[in-house]
Amino acid sequence: MTLQQQIRANRVRTTFVLFGFAILVGIFSAAVYFAYQPGVAGFIGIIAIVYGIVSWFAAGAMIAAASGAHKVTKEQQPELYRALENVGIAAGLAKTPDLYMIDDPSPNAFAAGRDPDHAYVAVTTGLAKMMDKRELEGVLAHEVSHIRNRDVRLMSLAAVLVGVIALASDLLMRITIFGGGSDEREGGGLGPIGVIAGLVAAVLAPVGATLLQMSLSRRREYLADASAVEITGDAEGLAMALAALRDDTQPLHTVTRATAHLYIESPLRDHKGLRSSLGGMFDTHPPLEDRIAVLERLGGFTLPAPASQPATAQ
Amino acid sequence: MIVVIVIVVLVVLVLGWLMYTYNRLVRLRNESDQGFSGIDIQLKRRADLIPNLVESVKAYAAHESGLFEELAQARASTLSAQGVAGAADAAGKTGAALGRLFAVAEAYPQLRASENFKRLQDELTDTEDKIAAARRYYNTVVQAYNTGQQTFPASVVAGTFGFSPREFFRLDDDGDRAPVAVSV
Repeated sequence: MTLQQQIRANRVRTTFVLFGFAILVGIFSAAVYFAYQPGVAGFIGIIAIVYGIVSWFAAGAMIAAASGAHKVTKEQQPELYRALENVGIAAGLAKTPDLYMIDDPSPNAFAAGRDPDHAYVAVTTGLAKMMDKRELEGVLAHEVSHIRNRDVRLMSLAAVLVGVIALASDLLMRITIFGGGSDEREGGGLGPIGVIAGLVAAVLAPVGATLLQMSLSRRREYLADASAVEITGDAEGLAMALAALRDDTQPLHTVTRATAHLYIESPLRDHKGLRSSLGGMFDTHPPLEDRIAVLERLGGFTLPAPASQPATAQ
Repeated sequence: MIVVIVIVVLVVLVLGWLMYTYNRLVRLRNESDQGFSGIDIQLKRRADLIPNLVESVKAYAAHESGLFEELAQARASTLSAQGVAGAADAAGKTGAALGRLFAVAEAYPQLRASENFKRLQDELTDTEDKIAAARRYYNTVVQAYNTGQQTFPASVVAGTFGFSPREFFRLDDDGDRAPVAVSV
């Protein structure tokens, strides 16, 4: 598959995923509607919509706050900023994304923002310290291609939708537990069966939403790797960077499940048991070994085998 | 009745495809133009570094007047270059002349140690990285644009509406090839 075909296929998948989210929201609302009065459904709906709109526009800032990233200027980080400028030019971005840094010794990076003009790339201080220019450009090109391919838009949207569903189901749980016996409730409710159905929907909706979010971001990592190679023309540089990430075992300090899918490499390194039991269903990233192997085929080179015990190999 | 419906559907399909293809070619043409102006900005930025560089080297190697003259000409031709070929030609000359300037500077340790010279050299390196990046983008887009025109049946649309292939931005001194199509 060429890159263009992959981007197209990805767009189709995006549509399917959004469709999946819509169905999920529909089932959820239907469950609420039938299990409770319409008033409750409307109340939850309005709060969810307001929350969704606010977080769509504030997504970038919220993600930065949640991950401890702060903006840095060209004067503070000239080398890093220049590398980002160059990668942005090679990718054909109209504007160099802002540069953010996270004070953390664990090497990692992510991109966020709702569109290419309101996007930023965040890297940890550990990554900046550890990597040489070629590797840095590989990582930055990976992040910039997330921006150029509109992945950040979709991922921000996914984060917002997951957040909306999580909020709605949380509200529903509270109402069910604390407000169920209210006298103002009109007659004709569905009784215990309705309440149970509502609870099941409240529990399952966020899980389904998370699964969709995960499968979405895993595919995108391969695509972003391929785009990064197109941007820098240096498959080996990116492969070396990924190998460096593989060989590093420090977990990132400031990270939550909600932001995990944004990073170039999964920042949660302590879920091996979960992975083996669920076949990687909850992983936000494909194994680094697989990504390196794809790059090796692409560039026709072979990296030396890992010196130490690789942290993510199976 | 059925015949009419079939004909209408066919016409709509063909028109839709025409519109899509035409718009795609226009988009690629605009991207090529943007890509070229991106290179042009960086080339002019490099040309604007020349006077300061020449000033700082002159203080140590005033006798290299032939080289300074050559650099002034390279700068002038960069600023007045027309089209991709013209810009590439001027860029090649500028690159060669700057290479000789730094070869001369090698002989003057004091010059190389001066803050001003180091800053200029740093800025030049940065600009050259950016020229390379802008070229890579331009060549990638031009390849997509040219391929989009040459493949059938889009070639019919390209021929009818007067789209023509663009040149790659090549420099004489490098074995720079067209970007390879990335496939996974």
